[in-house]
Amino acid sequence: MVSKNITVKNEQGMHMRPASLLSQKATPFDSNIKILFNGNSYDCKSVMFLMSACIKCGSEIELQCDGPDEEKALAELSEFIESGMGD
Amino acid sequence: MYKGIAASRGIGIGSICRIIEHDLTFEAKQISDPAAEKDRFHKAIADFVEETNAMAKDIEKRIGPKEAEILMGHAVMISDPAMSGEMDKMIDSGQCAESALTAVCDMFIGMFSKMDDDMMRQRASDIADVKVSVLKKLLGIEDIDISKVAPGTVLVCKDLTPSMTSQIVKENVTGIITEIGGKTSHSAILARALEIPAVLSVPGIVDQVKDKDTAILDGTEGDVYINPDGDVLSKYMLKREEFIRKQSELKNFIGKETLTADGDKLELFCNIGTPKDAKKAMECDGEGIGLFRSEFLFMDNTHLPTEDEQFEAYKEAVETMDGRAVIIRTLDIGGDKDIPYLGMKKEENPFLGYRAVRYCLGNEETYRTQLRAIIRASAFGKVKIMVPLVTTVDEIRSVKKIVEEIKSDLKSEGIKYDENIEVGCMVETASASLIADLLAKEAAFFSIGTNDLTQYTMSVDRGNPDVAYLYSSFQPSVLRSIKYIIECGKKAGIPVGMCGEAAADPLMIPLLMSFGLDEYSVNPVLVLTARCIISKWSKAEADALAAKVMAMDTEKEIVAALKEAAKE
Repeated sequence: MVSKNITVKNEQGMHMRPASLLSQKATPFDSNIKILFNGNSYDCKSVMFLMSACIKCGSEIELQCDGPDEEKALAELSEFIESGMGD
Repeated sequence: MYKGIAASRGIGIGSICRIIEHDLTFEAKQISDPAAEKDRFHKAIADFVEETNAMAKDIEKRIGPKEAEILMGHAVMISDPAMSGEMDKMIDSGQCAESALTAVCDMFIGMFSKMDDDMMRQRASDIADVKVSVLKKLLGIEDIDISKVAPGTVLVCKDLTPSMTSQIVKENVTGIITEIGGKTSHSAILARALEIPAVLSVPGIVDQVKDKDTAILDGTEGDVYINPDGDVLSKYMLKREEFIRKQSELKNFIGKETLTADGDKLELFCNIGTPKDAKKAMECDGEGIGLFRSEFLFMDNTHLPTEDEQFEAYKEAVETMDGRAVIIRTLDIGGDKDIPYLGMKKEENPFLGYRAVRYCLGNEETYRTQLRAIIRASAFGKVKIMVPLVTTVDEIRSVKKIVEEIKSDLKSEGIKYDENIEVGCMVETASASLIADLLAKEAAFFSIGTNDLTQYTMSVDRGNPDVAYLYSSFQPSVLRSIKYIIECGKKAGIPVGMCGEAAADPLMIPLLMSFGLDEYSVNPVLVLTARCIISKWSKAEADALAAKVMAMDTEKEIVAALKEAAKE
């Protein structure tokens, strides 16, 4: 398992559009992908769970990938989150 | 008369068509063939997704991509593993599709509606909308086809869902009245995008009207009349004509220069709070940014923003404005704006205390970081630095000295910036106004902040209702102050702008024109209105009016005279 701490930068946080883009990017990976925030764990492949986490601009999250393609998943998804998720 | 929330401007008069909510109760059954039930369920979802995406495409064409995104979100939501995946599992365990759909949706509705974030709470109504649409598919209920209503229809319904709004044909629907929804709800946003008048949140309206009743709604005031008498009807017909005339008049000013009746060109800028607002300023035809408040970078944050974070934000606004001037006001905190992580002390008299440039010069490291970020952004367009709450010449000199030091640092580091970046002074205190002649020798430009100038000149706390009657920019003292500041700027040959609310006030504009104000900075949505008003006044007319009111003794007389002379 690999993980990384990331600060969410896009202005409105994890709202509909970034959450759906992120889940679309996470789904093709075979690894289990989770976001840990505020002591809870959220399935990164689900837009509903991502939105329900109430992640805002400036929130510190931990991205956790576990599985055969974990390194690649972590690299691509953390870069996507850091780039502001298309916002 | 009924009162609601004014959500989309304009007057709507027409015949009511009620959109009644269907009875969506169902009997929760145990099912014996989960595979067949899942087939039925997935067929309903597939129909829903197909219809929703088709509607989204149509909306994108008719209204815009942003509005279409709401609907595409609905299709994404239902297809999510946390939604349809969970529902499948419940069906596998023997529940019927209707029960599974309701249980999972309600769980998420409960979760989202409790969040402390407006945007997220909005998702709860999206999920409710999805639930109802899919439930109708499962129960085989067909909706009223809103796209087929007759011309001159006023829609009355409990809530206008995005899927309903998307069927609206602009030419046929003259108004929208609902029982729920606010200014920022999807229905309000879509109604505004379609330019259909709307009044939302009128309690119990659906049960109090019948189809074919006549309705009047005033989407500017939030008023609704059902079966009004002839007097009210004719009054509102006039009002509607007036509104339409004004709107089309304003449209004539899109893309035009801001010219007085004599043909003299003035500058019409916008006030913004975030880099994203710069796009709005461009869409609304602003000619530049007269006030970019930098506080958002500090307030919506958990830590002091770094130089690079600030640089990116300023650069974004500057690039959006594509060569037009962007006046960035440096950090204006203290007073009523507290930033918790800065650990500022509580003060007895915060408005007279350690705020704005006073705080910045006392915390030079923080200030240098901001100034460096602003100066770096000047390589990408026309940036100006504006210093808030100046009361002494020393303050503006100190800022200029720091700016020069940063410029020489950047030069030796080989970082690009605009060598001619201007440092201007916000004139918003009684002291700054009285020494405007001295400040004009140091500042490259003036910008009058009327909100604070009025507060400090009148010694009135803006937030205290007991003294609110004194808070007016039309007080003779405030007007004299404004006039003097502009005169001093003119004498020194520097441009003078105004970034307070007064710059867009139709009553104030002729006075400012007479005093010689060069730049008017307004809320983006008021650009066309201000441009229209400016076009109606010649210098001679404005001068005559100014001479008359500047000789008056009281605010009341002045406002009355300005109202009488106003050109609508």
